[in-house]
Amino acid sequence: MTAPVLEVEGLRKEFVRGFLRKRTVAVDGISFAVEPGEVFGFLGPNGAGKTTTMKMLMGLIHPSAGKATILGAEVGDLDAKRRIGYLPENPYFYDYLSATEYLHMVGRIYGLDRATRDKRAAELLGRVGLAMAQGRAMRSYSKGMLQRVGLAQALIGDPELVVLDEPMSGLDPIGRREVRELILDLRAQGKTVFFSTHILADANLLCDRVAIIVKGKLRDVGPLGELLSPKVHRIEVLWQGDEALQAQLREQFPASHSSSSEGQVFVAEAQEQLDRFLAAILAGGGEVSSVTPQRETLEQLFVRDAGLSPEEQRS
Amino acid sequence: MGAIGASFNRMWAIALNTFREAVRNKVLAILVMFAVALMAFSLVLGQLSLHEEIRIIKDLGLAGISIFGVVIALFLGVNLLSKELERKTVYAIIPKPLHRHEFLLGKYLGLVVTMTALVVLMSVVLWGFLVAQGGHHGVIMVRAEILILLELLLLMAVAMLFSSFSSPWLSAMFAGALWVIGRNTAELEAFAQGKLEDTAGGSLLEVLLDLLPDFRMFFVSGANFDETVVSVHESFVSWAYVGSAAVYAMTYGGMCLVAAVLLFRRRDFV
Ligand SMILES: Nc1ncnc2c1ncn2[C@@H]1O[C@H](COP(=O)(O)OP(=O)(O)O)[C@@H](O)[C@H]1O
Ligand SMILES: [Mg+2]
Repeated sequence: MTAPVLEVEGLRKEFVRGFLRKRTVAVDGISFAVEPGEVFGFLGPNGAGKTTTMKMLMGLIHPSAGKATILGAEVGDLDAKRRIGYLPENPYFYDYLSATEYLHMVGRIYGLDRATRDKRAAELLGRVGLAMAQGRAMRSYSKGMLQRVGLAQALIGDPELVVLDEPMSGLDPIGRREVRELILDLRAQGKTVFFSTHILADANLLCDRVAIIVKGKLRDVGPLGELLSPKVHRIEVLWQGDEALQAQLREQFPASHSSSSEGQVFVAEAQEQLDRFLAAILAGGGEVSSVTPQRETLEQLFVRDAGLSPEEQRS
Repeated sequence: MGAIGASFNRMWAIALNTFREAVRNKVLAILVMFAVALMAFSLVLGQLSLHEEIRIIKDLGLAGISIFGVVIALFLGVNLLSKELERKTVYAIIPKPLHRHEFLLGKYLGLVVTMTALVVLMSVVLWGFLVAQGGHHGVIMVRAEILILLELLLLMAVAMLFSSFSSPWLSAMFAGALWVIGRNTAELEAFAQGKLEDTAGGSLLEVLLDLLPDFRMFFVSGANFDETVVSVHESFVSWAYVGSAAVYAMTYGGMCLVAAVLLFRRRDFV
């Protein structure tokens, strides 16, 4: 088995702001791995911690805890950086430079010679549809054009791993489709793509696997097909029994008991726990009224958490 | 190509970009035009004074290069790094295959190139004015201009240090304040040894004056040096003096850059 291209272990970032030392946990101990050649989606609502995670991987932010390995090296390793291309979220580039000049500068940093820089810059600007504006100062560029420069500068070093933070943002429907095609092209060339998005449809069309992050915590990692199909997260059991049995079961199964007008309610988190719980009711002379799987789709997960920022605590 | 050559190439990429950004900025062109306008004004003043035309052009010309140079140095030293952080252009650069210190030193190198070009440009204009009035530029003026350039390079290193951890306006204010203090060390020293003698404030001020950059040594025309008045018209400093001022500027500026690198390394780009 080949080593993962990107491996994240217990990565955490806590921001401390202002006079009151207000703390925000933006990323709360996440772990996952991206395998060579896959398109891996990093999916979550706004404010989930996607950008913060990517910035930690790119050496822009120092993690509060945890560890990341990229292409077998620690974050910041120059040889590894040479094999990575990165598109920041809502990128902005120098006011008075043209796209061509900028790509040349980035090419120089990657250590490319002049001929290679010329060739790749022209090729990439054509590829992202900026050929007609390549000589103009970038201060006159629209948001969508800056996004396109961002894609070109991420690819100028011919990287093995491409990290894109919201690559479709700021683009019109045609631009979005072009970016999707670009990502699929990269995969066809054997590159690994790690990109973030808050749009399910984009992830659905492109990703081999996704990691779902909500409020700084990793909810799920896997092929999107599996995660998208309604998945049983919890099973609700409605049951009747005398006081002694209620007390006994509450002790035996500590979590998630409540009572309703129809009887006692218990929420099982796993099949195995459910089986044991049902057996215990029957053994204690109780009665099972109903067993209901609680299904949650990804949309529901998003909608439930959308707009909520991570818990902000004061120390 | 060795590791040092590769590292220099990366810094040069940043420097070239910094130079282009700086010289294409209209604010810079306007400031240079002001300096040239001041020199032109010295021609008018020269006409009004009897037989002192050359003297006035030299004095006002050097003052113009120095004053507008300081404004440009603060503008560039603070603006170019803070703007990178504010506009988030730095987000795309730091993840590229270069070290953080290469980015910072590359920016400074770009400022050095820009500032050197500007001082040379303004000096050439001054030389033109002098020749047009029948005067000549001479080695003494070159020494004075080199000293001004050294002062500006040091000031930019100080400005970069501040902007590596603080906001643009605060950085400009701090660096500007240090320049004003550094230009007036003699007066402040006299104050510490006179009025404030034997007070805690006096001792503190003296220690501070030793630690803060001494900008006075770079603008010597008309200054009182070891009890003789030094000016570009008669007795002026030697090449040896220029050399020792260069060593001071490089040592002090170097320490500022090292501190800036250390602060910049720890920074989170959020
Ligand atoms: N500099 C900062 N100081 C405090 N909180 C921050 C800072 N940057 C981001 N956050 C918080 O961290 C959380 C995650 O943000 P981000 O990583 O940008 O999310 P996403 O990219 O998924 O939209 C948000 O709640 C945001 O408010
Ligand atoms: Mg984001």
